[in-house]
Amino acid sequence: MKKKINFKEGLIYGIIGVATLFTIGILVFILGFIFSKGLPHLDSHFLTSQFDSTSAYVDVKLSEGTENPLGLILGEMTLKEKGSIEKQVIVVKDIEKTSLAESAVNNKGQNLAISKNDIINRIEGENVEGKSVDEVNQILNSINADKVTLRITKQGGGIFPMLMTTLMMIGLALLFSVPIGVLAAIYLVEYAKPGRFVNLVRFATESLAGIPSIIYGLFGMILFVMTLNFGYSLLAGALTLSIILLPVIIRQTEESLKAVPDSYREASFGLGANKIYTISRVIIPTAMPGIVVAIILSIGRIVGESAALLLTAGTAAKIPSSLFESGSTLTVKAYTLAKEEANIELASAIGSVIIIIILILNALSKLLSRKITKI
Amino acid sequence: MGKDMKLDRKNELKEKLAHYLFLFNATVAIISVAAIAFFVFYRGLQPFIPGNAEGTYSLIDFLTGLEWRPGEGKFGILYMIVGSLLATTGAIVLGVPIGILTAVFIAELAPKWIRTVIKPAVELLAGIPSVIYGLFGLGIIVPAIMQLSSQPQGQSLLAVILVLMIMILPTVITITESAIKAVPDSYREGSLGLGATKLYTVFRVVLPAAKSGILAGVVLGIGRAIGETMAVMLVAGNPIAGLPTSIFSPVRPLTTNIAMEMSYAFGLHQEMLFATGVVLFTFIIIINLILNRITRGSELK
Repeated sequence: MKKKINFKEGLIYGIIGVATLFTIGILVFILGFIFSKGLPHLDSHFLTSQFDSTSAYVDVKLSEGTENPLGLILGEMTLKEKGSIEKQVIVVKDIEKTSLAESAVNNKGQNLAISKNDIINRIEGENVEGKSVDEVNQILNSINADKVTLRITKQGGGIFPMLMTTLMMIGLALLFSVPIGVLAAIYLVEYAKPGRFVNLVRFATESLAGIPSIIYGLFGMILFVMTLNFGYSLLAGALTLSIILLPVIIRQTEESLKAVPDSYREASFGLGANKIYTISRVIIPTAMPGIVVAIILSIGRIVGESAALLLTAGTAAKIPSSLFESGSTLTVKAYTLAKEEANIELASAIGSVIIIIILILNALSKLLSRKITKI
Repeated sequence: MGKDMKLDRKNELKEKLAHYLFLFNATVAIISVAAIAFFVFYRGLQPFIPGNAEGTYSLIDFLTGLEWRPGEGKFGILYMIVGSLLATTGAIVLGVPIGILTAVFIAELAPKWIRTVIKPAVELLAGIPSVIYGLFGLGIIVPAIMQLSSQPQGQSLLAVILVLMIMILPTVITITESAIKAVPDSYREGSLGLGATKLYTVFRVVLPAAKSGILAGVVLGIGRAIGETMAVMLVAGNPIAGLPTSIFSPVRPLTTNIAMEMSYAFGLHQEMLFATGVVLFTFIIIINLILNRITRGSELK
């Protein structure tokens, strides 16, 4: 009899173990997949370059009295184009100190520095694609002028614009939602008496937390993009995000305000301080670590958000130059790369960056929470 | 004396202003919910009201149609509703048992050091953005299904179910775990004291006592599954017509219908996408009401 129970119990323990291993295994598998595909792409070029390649004609002055007047050290590189056509191009490997390549100007007279990894397409109008470095150097040496006109291509494939857009989105969304969320939480904890209104606010924040981001996107599109005519823009995206963030900020701030001992309030009042003074000088400073955790959680939410931003901020792969311009965050770009260009490799590279950011944010909030519990 | 009174007045005014400032910000959440509901329903119901500027469409054809061909003016979403419901059901059936068992392990069985490893892992699972789950689905699950099935593409109901199952795990685990933790120790001691084994205690005493909390976790999981968009969009296949006939059929959940075509839709087509949002939103409201009922019920206890 006893043995039978043991067997059954063993089986159940086994099933529980398998379920737990499955959960952990899936996480490891997902991280392994994204990192193995994506990490090889991560380098400084990937993080600092524009996404789209851009070409331009530039004039470079030659420096006198040096062995290499142009000062560019060239190399060959094979470039994969769409449809798996490969072509060999000349690329700038390094730039000598004497070179005037940094002060090159485009045909509008603006400065456009030549930098490492730029491709040289044409020299004085002559196409150099497919030529060897020696041939190109010969062409360069035969030039007898004080400047040379090059057509260069700044290689794209980087995520710099998306990084910047993500940062702008974080800043703007927090600017709207943190004051509202924190002040609302202060009202709920320090002012409101339990009753209808508090229940209504609580019901509203719970409802907001339960609305999926695609509905937020739909709402943001109808109100901000169409009705208020912001268009697909940074502002429409940030406003939509700030509503998404409200429940997170309100709840987290409420918790940290509630954790401030009543004796602090009593002491402050007892010393003759009024309510605003008590809130701004005693309660908020004490609750600050909790508010910072709310901000960190919000940043995580912004970095991960995609559906709502797809419908409100659009997909432009450039840094928005005003509040009313479209820009895609890292996550939105990872999606469009996977969906529209079937480029899982590059999407995973962005995915690795996103996961690293999330890991850092998780660690930060853990650290802070530990500090809070110590108080 | 007069100066003091003036100061008091000023302070009183300041206090009052601050009070109203805090109050106003507290109403923002209420205003937001009202605005979201108003704008989504207002725009989404336009095509069913006679005399609409962009043209009208029959509500019955919309809710019972099996084809979505904007070019031909056909906007049926029944097959999407079915797709959404099947995908959510599948994800719940597979994900909930795994989630509950994992939560049992974390809360009742695991030694402390294992818990300190697993809990952050579950938190990370919850923090991974849905696009990454979609990438994983597209890169691993879809090719695997392609090997299994006779269909030419791996994007299918099964792929959606598997991705959603993974995505609801952290929700189910976290809520179940805290529900289990909330069961008083006296229950466990009573059961163990009567000679019951640890497992018997967990499954016959602790889990039943944590029932309403677990149920809340399941309902939250349903909400997350039915509202999920980006991950699903990458693995669903999104056909323009037809009910799914097997788990290998491609599906087009309501959420992906909205997100996929919104960027280039205009006129009636765009309004029908808003209308799809109304149907989705209605599901979400029902789920939230159920959730509210469950959590309120457990609070009363």
